[in-house]
Amino acid sequence: MAMTDPILSESAAKVRLRRQGEVLRSLMTNPTTALGMIIIILLLGMAIFAPYLMPPNIPDPYQMPRDWGATRMPPGTPGHPLGTTNQGGDVLYGVVWGSRSSLQMSLIVVSVTVVIGVVIGSIAGIVGGWIDEALMRVVDIFLSIPELIFALAVAAILGPSFTNIILSLCIVFWVKYARIMRAQIILIRQSDYVQAARVMGDSRFNIFRRDILPNASTPIAVQATLDMGNIVLVGATLSFIGLSESGIAEWGVLVSEGQAGIASGRWWASTFPGLMIFLWALAFNLVGDGLRDALDPRTEGKR
Amino acid sequence: MMQQRLSEKSAQRKAGDTLLSVRNLCKHFPIREGILQSTVGHVRAVDGVSFDIRRGETVGLVGESGCGKTTLSQCVAGLTTPTSGEILFDTGRGGPLGQEDRIDAMPRDRYRTYRRNTQMVFQDNFASLNPRELVIDCIGRPLRVYNEASGSELTERVVELLEQVGLGRQHLYRYPHQFSGGQRQRISIARALALDPELIVLDEPTSALDVSVQAQILNLLWDLQKHRHLAYLFVTHDLSVVRHMADRTVTMYLGRVVEQGPTETIFGNAAHPYTKALLAAKPDLDDDPSVPIATLEGVVPDPARPPKGCRFHTRCPVATPDCGWEVDDIVRLLEADETLFQSLQGVARKTDLEAGLTFADETAAAALHAALGSDRVPLAMRTATETLDLNGKTVNIRFRETEEVSLTDRGEGHQAACVLGRGGQ
Ligand SMILES: Nc1ncnc2c1ncn2[C@@H]1O[C@H](COP(=O)(O)OP(=O)(O)O)[C@@H](O)[C@H]1O
Ligand code: SF4
Ligand SMILES: [Mg+2]
Repeated sequence: MAMTDPILSESAAKVRLRRQGEVLRSLMTNPTTALGMIIIILLLGMAIFAPYLMPPNIPDPYQMPRDWGATRMPPGTPGHPLGTTNQGGDVLYGVVWGSRSSLQMSLIVVSVTVVIGVVIGSIAGIVGGWIDEALMRVVDIFLSIPELIFALAVAAILGPSFTNIILSLCIVFWVKYARIMRAQIILIRQSDYVQAARVMGDSRFNIFRRDILPNASTPIAVQATLDMGNIVLVGATLSFIGLSESGIAEWGVLVSEGQAGIASGRWWASTFPGLMIFLWALAFNLVGDGLRDALDPRTEGKR
Repeated sequence: MMQQRLSEKSAQRKAGDTLLSVRNLCKHFPIREGILQSTVGHVRAVDGVSFDIRRGETVGLVGESGCGKTTLSQCVAGLTTPTSGEILFDTGRGGPLGQEDRIDAMPRDRYRTYRRNTQMVFQDNFASLNPRELVIDCIGRPLRVYNEASGSELTERVVELLEQVGLGRQHLYRYPHQFSGGQRQRISIARALALDPELIVLDEPTSALDVSVQAQILNLLWDLQKHRHLAYLFVTHDLSVVRHMADRTVTMYLGRVVEQGPTETIFGNAAHPYTKALLAAKPDLDDDPSVPIATLEGVVPDPARPPKGCRFHTRCPVATPDCGWEVDDIVRLLEADETLFQSLQGVARKTDLEAGLTFADETAAAALHAALGSDRVPLAMRTATETLDLNGKTVNIRFRETEEVSLTDRGEGHQAACVLGRGGQ
């Protein structure tokens, strides 16, 4: 009998999967979120398949190729659909491999800062007392300085390099997660479902793992999505100012190195990478906002 | 297997024995103010409460919103540590309940017995279920905590529990938001039943539900109790529910028990004016339960500054001169009168019963003096006034000494805290 019962063929894993499908579907019903999703998919595809789209012909693919025989070519030139830079670098190559740089940068920074933020926020929320006071004071100070200015200061101290930009972004971007995590712990800890878990005698560890973490993950996921965009924006700005290495396939660097030519009409070397920065930041912000609505367990499934 | 476990357990249960005893329980919440967060007073949410719950019985706990019902239930369920007083629980040690049975002083293994035998159902059916937990994980969780079942056995146990609350196998893999309010409350009840407890604390379990659904949940709770010999602490502000469900009824007012007794006695022959007022406001079972119960005059006083003597004397329609009249009663009177209150300059308090009130001008002082001697204050208060004189801008007043008003016996298992009708009067 058990085998013919359709309910038994159901499993928790399947239901969770289906719920993720529902979240995705409800994301796609919102037109601006859907647009963001499509842009993200294209950008990620570009980043992942860069070696096939634009096979490198130099050992370090993150260096812009140089062809001194084909400098300052306008868009539409055969072999260089988006034109070339002053040094004869193919702008399309820079755009494609730049997406890979951006993906690397944002993924590394988001994963590192989410972990740091969640750990620090959890310590503050769980331990409380003067440790909480001290940590939150640090968070307040960090948050009172605009992200860009703060990252700029740190990157300037560390010295110009792509790695140092990532490092400075990691130092700047964890604070929001700490703040969110702490607030969530305090909120969820007083919820009736945690009271219920306490009444049944469940351990503090289990309450953290089963009640606090899953419910706190929603606002963290939303913030992480928004930051995927913001990090690239701030990182590119630092590169633009000259805090990165010259000659690498990174959008901010390309914009910076191409801007000298704008006055003489060579707009393409900085416009295309600039457009990519804009698209990247826009897409993740659109999806982040959509996620906020879609992940709310009180509204999902009712639409 | 479940059946066998149940009958074993019910054999040990002797109906009528005291299962849980609350003695002189106080829970005060500090009120903090200013940047230094210094304590400026205490909300006396529960202030000296004693009562017993026997095996298999339902104790109904009633009172207006804010009188301390939730705080008391949380103490009973072990969710908050009381400020003072004790909660004793029979963990099968044998003999009468004593200091060794305090839940805050038990050895670990016996505390575990208390912990799994006292469960709770909350008012807000949405907030009491983790929105990220599937029904099977939610109801199965207590079984996992005590390593009672896992794998397919756990699934079967959860199905059994679901069926007992009128749900079924088809609900195992759903999230709380996919259910109606009544169904969610059924899930909460199933979770509370999972460990086969002896006591379930129900804090307004039906207050958030539609009227038609309320009846279904009450019937479910009723049936479960009959089958499983459960004891309930049933908290509600709805008297008709108590009348339905409770063997004994406890009435609370401002953190104190003012009356307790068998439900028929309370409903047929209430001794305390507060209980009577509640009943008069809502005498009938078939009344719309959403209509507020209290139609008493005046507001509930601040629980941080409860009235002296009988706490109900500020609102009691039959108050006597012996009910605890005090200087604070005049302060409350002044607070209600804006013009007088604004010209009040100071209260020189000798005791709770004696003070001089100084005003900015003589007219205000004279006005208060006149008011205190007129029918703007209850006759009982005027009678309790021993001195009342006007001295320029100052009104001096002194009230007579009165005794504390505590619970006294009014019949078989019936107690009330009121100066009226107590021993011989
Ligand atoms: N955690 C708390 N901190 C401060 N005051 C509280 C707290 N919980 C309850 N109170 C106060 O204690 C009193 C009793 O509250 P409660 O037990 O919720 O009453 P009821 O359940 O009867 O409505 C109220 O005055 C309330 O404001
Ligand atoms: S003691 Fe009785 S009569 Fe006096 S105020 Fe209290 S309830 Fe009313
Ligand atoms: Mg309450």
